[in-house]
Amino acid sequence: MLAIARSEMIQIFRNRLVLVTGLVIPVAISGYLVYEHDRFADLGSLGYIAAIVMFTVLALGLYTTAVTTLASRRQNLFLKRLRSTAAGDAGIVTGLVLPATVVALVQVVVILVVLGAVTTEPAQVVLLAVAILATTAMMVALALATAGLTSSPEQAQVTTLPVSLLVVAVASWVGITGTEDFTRLKRLLPGGSATEMVVNAWNGGVPLLESLPLLATTLGWVAVAVAMAVRLFRWEPRR
Amino acid sequence: MPASPVIEVDALTVAYGDFTAVKDLSFEVRRGELYALLGTNGAGKTSTLEVVEGHRRPTSGTVRIFGASPQDRLAVRPRMGIMLQESGFSPDLTVQESVALIGSLSGRDDTVDRVLAVVGLTRKAGTVVAQLSGGEKRRLDFATAVYGGPELVILDEPTTGLDIQSRDALWDAVDSLREAGSTVVLTTHYLEEAQQRADRIGLMHEGRLRREGTVAELTQTLPSVITFALPPGAPEPPTVGALNGGFHIETFHLQDDLHHLLVWAHDHAVELKDLQAGPTRLDDVFRALDPT
Repeated sequence: MLAIARSEMIQIFRNRLVLVTGLVIPVAISGYLVYEHDRFADLGSLGYIAAIVMFTVLALGLYTTAVTTLASRRQNLFLKRLRSTAAGDAGIVTGLVLPATVVALVQVVVILVVLGAVTTEPAQVVLLAVAILATTAMMVALALATAGLTSSPEQAQVTTLPVSLLVVAVASWVGITGTEDFTRLKRLLPGGSATEMVVNAWNGGVPLLESLPLLATTLGWVAVAVAMAVRLFRWEPRR
Repeated sequence: MPASPVIEVDALTVAYGDFTAVKDLSFEVRRGELYALLGTNGAGKTSTLEVVEGHRRPTSGTVRIFGASPQDRLAVRPRMGIMLQESGFSPDLTVQESVALIGSLSGRDDTVDRVLAVVGLTRKAGTVVAQLSGGEKRRLDFATAVYGGPELVILDEPTTGLDIQSRDALWDAVDSLREAGSTVVLTTHYLEEAQQRADRIGLMHEGRLRREGTVAELTQTLPSVITFALPPGAPEPPTVGALNGGFHIETFHLQDDLHHLLVWAHDHAVELKDLQAGPTRLDDVFRALDPT
């Protein structure tokens, strides 16, 4: 698994397109959000900025990169090549998505540390960390499911749009308007509960126990996405 | 007591929806032999190999590799090298990185430098796969298959796209593996390679194994052919063997009939023009599978 992850890391840094879309653009957008934190905090709150930063990086930097990577590796039969070795399926998939996941997590942490440094620190760091990890798991699982519907890296530009736009839109809706109205709908939408957890963690004022159902809902999305991935994921191109 | 087979295929059927690619196929590959699985296009070779390689599950029947399921990668893959028909390497990795990656996942011990030297890619070690020619990619594929000297090597169209020097180098490497006791399964469209190299050959057609045996066993099922032309005005030879309307003789007794023909030509001072005589070739057996 680590050998596969290492080779993937090499490829990420050799492929300029992946580097720009997976690293530069999410950081640039997040940097702008942090730079204009006063304006965006007025719109929602600092927790809203943290949630948008998290989803921007995880949607563009992790989810889109992972779908593109898996589709590309399947299209050029690299997945079949890996399955011709003694490596197991779980190890192969983990190795393939691990670099993008680690890079995205590092990006999120660094940007949020900067946000905390220029504004105020999050009220509940542990809850924030749990929210980030749960959301990361959800985006990885959604990437595996989406990769099953994506036959080429070019097609990934289209197939990743619905989930990417949806989670950022839901994060904005929940982050700006809160969950006083349409509570159940907002929490059930993908990213809704995760956004509320991040807002609660950063802004404070909400007991930790009240965030547990939000964590359960986010993990529920992980389970749904994993079930979809098991059903949809293919190792070889359709002939 | 004979050693147990390396590969056991028993009543294998592979179907894709309504289409059945492989029908009730059974064969064995013995330890240390080079078994060539040949067939017409669409004969079912690729589907059969995919099941043997563990990339596809059979619709029915069983396949055992070293007595284990091909799906049991941990048990089977460290003993088995696979050269796929299509490359499947990441274009952004170098030759050295590609061999190191696949080698490290193979479960076998070896060095990248050694296998690159075997396939003549040492000077390309730092080149990314995207910049390799088709032949160089096949050699890279072969390098990963023979990494660590596996007990079983599956070579799927190994010499397609290779120049003659590269082919010779590849077969030299295969010979070395066999001397070390490896078993080889080969598919190829170059029948002369199978004829020269294979201990036994399985001929598939329309999903079934139609013939199986050594080259001698396969070719002796069809007659050899003697062909020649006569100068104008020359007398015609008497019927020898199975004479088919003139100067095309099909015979199961090549040496005797050719001897009779040459004696007759000498006695009658007749020069046989364009005389050709030879044993039945694998091509002829192959063509007889599908006369259309």
